[in-house]
Amino acid sequence: MIPKSFMGAQETRELLPGTLDMLILKVLSRGEMHGYGIVSAIQRASDDVLGVVEGALYPALHRLEVRGWVRAKWGTSDNNRRAKFYRLSALGRRALDEEAAYWNRVASAITRVMQSA
Amino acid sequence: MKRVVINDAIGWWNRLLTLVRRGRRARDIDDEIAFHLAMRQADHERDGVAPEIARRIAARQFGNVTALKEQTRDMWTFPSFESLVQDLRYALRTLRRAPAFALVAVLVLAIGIGATTAMFSLVDTMLVRGLPYPEADRLVELIGNVQRASGVERRGNSYPDHLDWRARATSFDDMSAYTTLNTTLQGADEPERIPSEAVSPPYFKLFGVSPTHGREFRPEEDTVPNRDAVVILGDGLWRRRFGADPSIVNRTIQLNARTFTVIGIMPAGFTGVSDTAQLWIPFAMSGTPFDNRGSRGFQSLARLKPGATLAAARAELDTISRQLAAAYPQTNDKRGVEVSPLADIVLQQLRPIVVALMAAVTLVLLIACANVAGLLISRSDARQREIAVRTALGAGPCRLLRQLVTESCVLAMLGAVAGMAIAQVSLPSLIAASPVAFPTFVRPQLSLRVLAFGILIALVSGVMLGIAPMMHARLPRLGDALKTSSRGGSSGMRSQRLRSALVIGEVALAVVLLAGAGLMIRSIQKLAAIDPGFDAANVLMLNATIPRQAAPPGTTGAAAAAPAPFVSSHTDLLDRIRAVPGVEMASLGSDLPFGGASAIFYTAEGDTTVAAETMPRAYIHRITPEFFATLRIRLEAGRTFLPSEERADSPAVIVSHNVTRRFWPNQDPIGKRIKFGAPGSQNPWMTIVGVVDEVKYRGLPENPTQDPDLYLPYTDRATQGVVVRTRVEPSSLASAVRAAIRDGNASILTFNAQTLADVVAQQSSASRFTSWLLSVFAATAMVLSVIGLYGVMSYLVAQRTREFGIRLALGASRLEIVRRVLRDGTWRVAIGAAIGLAATTGLARLLAGLVYGVGTFDISALIAVATLVVVAIAACLVPAMRATRVDPAIVLRSE
Repeated sequence: MIPKSFMGAQETRELLPGTLDMLILKVLSRGEMHGYGIVSAIQRASDDVLGVVEGALYPALHRLEVRGWVRAKWGTSDNNRRAKFYRLSALGRRALDEEAAYWNRVASAITRVMQSA
Repeated sequence: MKRVVINDAIGWWNRLLTLVRRGRRARDIDDEIAFHLAMRQADHERDGVAPEIARRIAARQFGNVTALKEQTRDMWTFPSFESLVQDLRYALRTLRRAPAFALVAVLVLAIGIGATTAMFSLVDTMLVRGLPYPEADRLVELIGNVQRASGVERRGNSYPDHLDWRARATSFDDMSAYTTLNTTLQGADEPERIPSEAVSPPYFKLFGVSPTHGREFRPEEDTVPNRDAVVILGDGLWRRRFGADPSIVNRTIQLNARTFTVIGIMPAGFTGVSDTAQLWIPFAMSGTPFDNRGSRGFQSLARLKPGATLAAARAELDTISRQLAAAYPQTNDKRGVEVSPLADIVLQQLRPIVVALMAAVTLVLLIACANVAGLLISRSDARQREIAVRTALGAGPCRLLRQLVTESCVLAMLGAVAGMAIAQVSLPSLIAASPVAFPTFVRPQLSLRVLAFGILIALVSGVMLGIAPMMHARLPRLGDALKTSSRGGSSGMRSQRLRSALVIGEVALAVVLLAGAGLMIRSIQKLAAIDPGFDAANVLMLNATIPRQAAPPGTTGAAAAAPAPFVSSHTDLLDRIRAVPGVEMASLGSDLPFGGASAIFYTAEGDTTVAAETMPRAYIHRITPEFFATLRIRLEAGRTFLPSEERADSPAVIVSHNVTRRFWPNQDPIGKRIKFGAPGSQNPWMTIVGVVDEVKYRGLPENPTQDPDLYLPYTDRATQGVVVRTRVEPSSLASAVRAAIRDGNASILTFNAQTLADVVAQQSSASRFTSWLLSVFAATAMVLSVIGLYGVMSYLVAQRTREFGIRLALGASRLEIVRRVLRDGTWRVAIGAAIGLAATTGLARLLAGLVYGVGTFDISALIAVATLVVVAIAACLVPAMRATRVDPAIVLRSE
């Protein structure tokens, strides 16, 4: 039997460039989470349409950490393993607001164009 | 915008932190990704997949684990740091492969950077850091001056004026009178002359120093002249003469034949304004009259209040001076005060020298850089193919430029290290060898700032040097460079032009330096050619102090009040000196040439000038009759003194030429009368018995002021200037003459024995020092620029070997080939020399104050250019001769 999540990953197409950061920030705005949790949350929320190449999450996460938009600390996961947890910083929250506003403007514009045709 | 800056700052900081804990960061990333994979695997296992397959699926879903780990790590590193290390390694490897090139380049840069850094450390200690006292920039000196017809002259302060300034001025925290003097310290050893200062109490507070033992002077110890015999010792004297014994405080020492109580010891390194003082006495003990407003001689030191400006202090003292002039017109008419930062006074003579030399070494550095740039361009021509290959393998132009800049920075850094080592070794000896005394606080060392400066100029030169070869190569087009054979060289034309420009620049700079050195040398020749009015050859000068006899015990009343006779009369002294074998003639003066004399106002009979600007003023000297003969000063009219005139009340006076020219032109001056003071003064008239030439007695190349000299008959006195004309080398008689003087009485002290020729030479020491250093720099510049020219010409000849071969084969004569090469070299030298000559006009302005009697455009500049041209053409001759040895057969066969 082939796992569902594996199937989903095969069907997904590449994310629009630059959106991964925004998705991570959005997911983290709900609370502290480790990398695996973030991937799962994105997959769940998008019904696996937006399945990311999972590893690509980490360079993005660390880029955000270097930039100071997310903060990280080591903690213990639900199954009692050492895991790195990320949470949004004030800077990151502001960045998310701006990115989201921009995204909404662009998305609604695209939608309008696509419907009018 | 602001957030971008914040993000950048946070990012750099985080990356910087990671530099220190790289290992931990890498482990963290490994752990984090391992956790992810384990979670995913567990997920699949829950769906019933076998563990091994679950692990593989998880890994596949993740992507390229190794590459992603690396990408994640890269987020934490500086974008170019890793490749910088790579570049450095590559640069070192490249240089090791071309050791001759590397050695020459490093050496040339070491000369340039070393000289510049050495000079900078002088500039730093002297001009940037300034005097070594707390808030030294607020220390000022007050020097009384007078407006004369010839201009404003410094004259010094009088005590009543000083007290008025101190009481009325509000710009200063405090003010202290001080004067330098020599004291004689008696004790178990021979009496010793001690450089000293007499200072009023706030002096030490102004400098922010306090005694390590004992106390400072109290204000009440400085109120009555010659009453409070207290002394503060300098650390050096205390250690040398008193074994660093702290119990010397409150004990007494014998100073100037008087008992002084030691009250304190100053800390090591403090030597006062004079920079030489080893002990201090109250100003009241200096002999300065406290009640004579017209007697001026000392200076005042003051500290500006916080917030007070120099301009405000000057304005305030101008006002006070006008008030004093109104209140005391007799003594204070046209009198003002100069308020100058102490640093300006202390560094007055050295500043223009250091600035000129700093400019000179900067030119040397530029030449050195141009030279190395030429070398690098030649090398980059040879490396065109390497660069092309690297481009083909994917190196962008930025990457290539960075590579070249890294290489030249490595060169420059090596040069800087070598240069700073040279500077470190040579600078102390340079300062020690300098005939101009540097203040003792100037102890240049490799301070952090000097180090930073050296590194900075190395980096700047490195970057410029790296860009230079790129300027002509620019983006080497891949195909071109790979296609052309090693012989052709596609960028030849442009690199030739750039290199020509560099050589022209080097020649121009070298011409400027050579012309500067030439100006200085000419100026020294002119200084040496000045006729001072006396004959300095074979003259020994020294000072002697003759103490008074101790009063016989029991003398009281009037007998005790009258000064006791000296232990030796001046005629006995002269007789003893004349008896020394090798002495041709000997005489005494109250002061010696360049030793400092005092000026006095006088009135010629019949003249009524009273205006302060034009009132006749002269310098007075008391001399024995043979004084003029000993120094070979020409007697213009009349006679010298008679032995019978050697009395304090003698009416005989000898004047210098300008006195008679002013008052009795075209008349016989002998028998005319003058007196000291204003026309209304009660001083007795003196009769002129002789007239002598004007003599440059007080300074060379000119006397500081154009006042004439008055000579009066000698009388017994404590301090004598001894002038001895010798038949042998004068310095060889110094000890014999001193022994003869002390033969009369062991308590007679002699000091300052030196030849007049040496003293005359000291007068131009600043010029000679500067010219010596400038010559060294100019020679360096010439050698460097000629090497640069030689390099370019050799390269050109090598490139044209084929052409010369064909020409020779077609029947050109060897002479013609030589002429072609020489013509090539000569036009470059000619253009450089012309530019350099044009630039030399600015030079004289830079050297103003250091040169004497030389115009802006001197023949020396032309001589400098001629020298350079000759040497440069000689340098071209070598490659030219090589060109003629081309064998046409071989060249054509290699086609």
